[in-house]
Amino acid sequence: MVKEMLTGNYAAAWGARLADVDYVPAFPITPQSEIIEVLSTWINGGNMDAIFTNMDSEHSMITAAGTASAAGTRVFSATSSQGLLYGFEMLYNIAGWRVPLVLINVSRAVSAPITLEPDHNDVLSARDTGIIQIHAETCQEILDTILMAYKISENEKVLLPVMINMDGFYLSFTREPVLIPDKSEVKGFLPEYNPKHAFLKASEPMAQGVAVLGGSAYSYFKYQQHLASLNALEVYNEVASEFEGVFGRSYSSIEAFMMEDAEYVLIMSNSFTVKGKAAVKGFRENGIKAGLLRLRLIRPFPDAELRRLLSNIKAAAVIDQNISPGSGGILFKDVSAALYHDAHRPEVLLSFIGGLGGKDISQVEFKHIIDMMKKSLDTGVIPGTEILYTENDMQQMNKLLKIAGKTTD
Amino acid sequence: MVESDIIKRVRFHGRGGQGMKTASRIVGTAAFMEGYYAQDFPVYGAERRGAPIMAFTRMSDSPILERGIITRPDINIIADETLLSDNAANVLQGTENETVTMVNTHYSPSHVKEAFDVNGEVTTVDITETVLKIINKPALSSVAAACACKLTGMISKNTLEKAVIRELTDIHLKRESISKNVEAALICFDNTPDITTSGIKTSEGYNGNRIVKMEYANPRVGTPSVYAMGNTIDKKTGNWRLYKPVIDYEECSMCRACFVHCPHSCISIDESGFPQIDYENCKGCFTCMDECPKGAVSREREVRAW
Repeated sequence: MVKEMLTGNYAAAWGARLADVDYVPAFPITPQSEIIEVLSTWINGGNMDAIFTNMDSEHSMITAAGTASAAGTRVFSATSSQGLLYGFEMLYNIAGWRVPLVLINVSRAVSAPITLEPDHNDVLSARDTGIIQIHAETCQEILDTILMAYKISENEKVLLPVMINMDGFYLSFTREPVLIPDKSEVKGFLPEYNPKHAFLKASEPMAQGVAVLGGSAYSYFKYQQHLASLNALEVYNEVASEFEGVFGRSYSSIEAFMMEDAEYVLIMSNSFTVKGKAAVKGFRENGIKAGLLRLRLIRPFPDAELRRLLSNIKAAAVIDQNISPGSGGILFKDVSAALYHDAHRPEVLLSFIGGLGGKDISQVEFKHIIDMMKKSLDTGVIPGTEILYTENDMQQMNKLLKIAGKTTD
Repeated sequence: MVESDIIKRVRFHGRGGQGMKTASRIVGTAAFMEGYYAQDFPVYGAERRGAPIMAFTRMSDSPILERGIITRPDINIIADETLLSDNAANVLQGTENETVTMVNTHYSPSHVKEAFDVNGEVTTVDITETVLKIINKPALSSVAAACACKLTGMISKNTLEKAVIRELTDIHLKRESISKNVEAALICFDNTPDITTSGIKTSEGYNGNRIVKMEYANPRVGTPSVYAMGNTIDKKTGNWRLYKPVIDYEECSMCRACFVHCPHSCISIDESGFPQIDYENCKGCFTCMDECPKGAVSREREVRAW
């Protein structure tokens, strides 16, 4: 075991290397390219016994990943944003084929307007595909989650692909200390892939992803995917506790931060959570009983765990780093649905949109959220979804609008 | 962060190709080797040699609850003095009374402080002179890192040496070049004064900022389109240039080859038919020099006196 300064991208490459993957179909896109560059260097240099294929597009890449998995190989791939969307129809297909594999998404906000910085509309657009989703906060977590993900994905009760999300720039290009476990240690936790499920072999031809008409067969197979995903809740917890036993690092489906006696709770995901944690510490120093929950397992959605953690809390606020135009925050809907029937749910549940396209979420924005929770508790009035946008942001925007010839004042 | 935590935030300013990303990595690795929590990363804007770039390192004795761009640096390293007069590069952003700013120049700290009205302590070290003497080219990564390491007060000379070797080995530099880098770094470590910063108070505060309500704007305003010509007034790409093309009008035959071939439309034709270069935006690519049939375009070292 060694500890090194690694970027999130490099940590992802290490995860794939330690998981002893057989096949890496790839297509480059900023900010993901470093992952596949590192893997191709390692494979070319004989540090990794795997086959690397540069594909013509993400659509082909995801197809190749799914079909290789169907032939019984352990597959790893990575993409981002527009690339994920370009391969989109194949995401539903590989989930439908029930093939285990791990796909990294390095979050980057989706065009138009085009940018390189992160938010989660790319990865959350895939929330209904049937693919398991786990969202990471640190570079260590990316490496560790890849090892856990194969174990979840390849479990006979699940057999669904797993997508792991990391934020572009904030993780992908940021180095921090990462423990790289020994290969032998990983081997004990994640043995060689030995598929028992029906897999393609030259000697045993089969058809996969067959045509079904009339609806009853379609409904049957589709609902099987749902049940498999629900099984992943339990499998996730088993794998997480085994991982903790071997490696000593604990990853629950929802991370609880300063939740003891918390009255006001922020609900966030991914790397910006660290800004929320800093804000919570600041609030605590000023006598405000704040806490934070980080949603890590996004699909399947851990409803029961969320209810338990929010039981008898005064107020909570979801900060969605995404937006479903015409509806609001995507995760807010999952959180509200999980809580609706619970008698001990928070009295107030607010919805905020923040950090779109990598915009900072500043301390003044967190303070505003706490103030709004208090105000709603006092008045009983619950406002609609609000965007976290400051006077400074607006001044900067007005300046740009003027330069673009859109305003004259 | 609670008050007892030590955290130092280092911001590097330089130009693409000067080694600021590597500098931030050397400092990150050095802090990590000293047993601190560390974090380093670059921002990529225009990925081109000569364009202003930034890189960052954070180090702390407890887990770092921050990510992203450092807007209020404890230590601000300006490895290219010409960036001081470039408003778009904004190299003094967020410098406060507790900030130590290091400028790579032969000018005195008091001269820089006065000329640019810099908040906090200023120190100057001519790291370019050192590298030109020892490494024989303007590679600033190791020496900029050395100044930063010294100013943090958290990193020993011995650790700096190990970190330089580690990072330069990672980018496949030859052994001879690495040892020259180490030599230059150790000299600059010694040449950097021992100024300790008390550190910026960690809370960014609210700075009078507040949440505003966003209203629907008419589509001419509220859609991502641009109507104005010359809409890059805040991004003068002329500051990417290390050399400038100069036209010898005695030789120029007014053939317009430079005007036609300039990939950035930075050459216009004046009333008398001669080409004129827009130096505010010319990136110094020298396509004009290559295309000129008369050899009337020459290359001049950019001098920015201030």
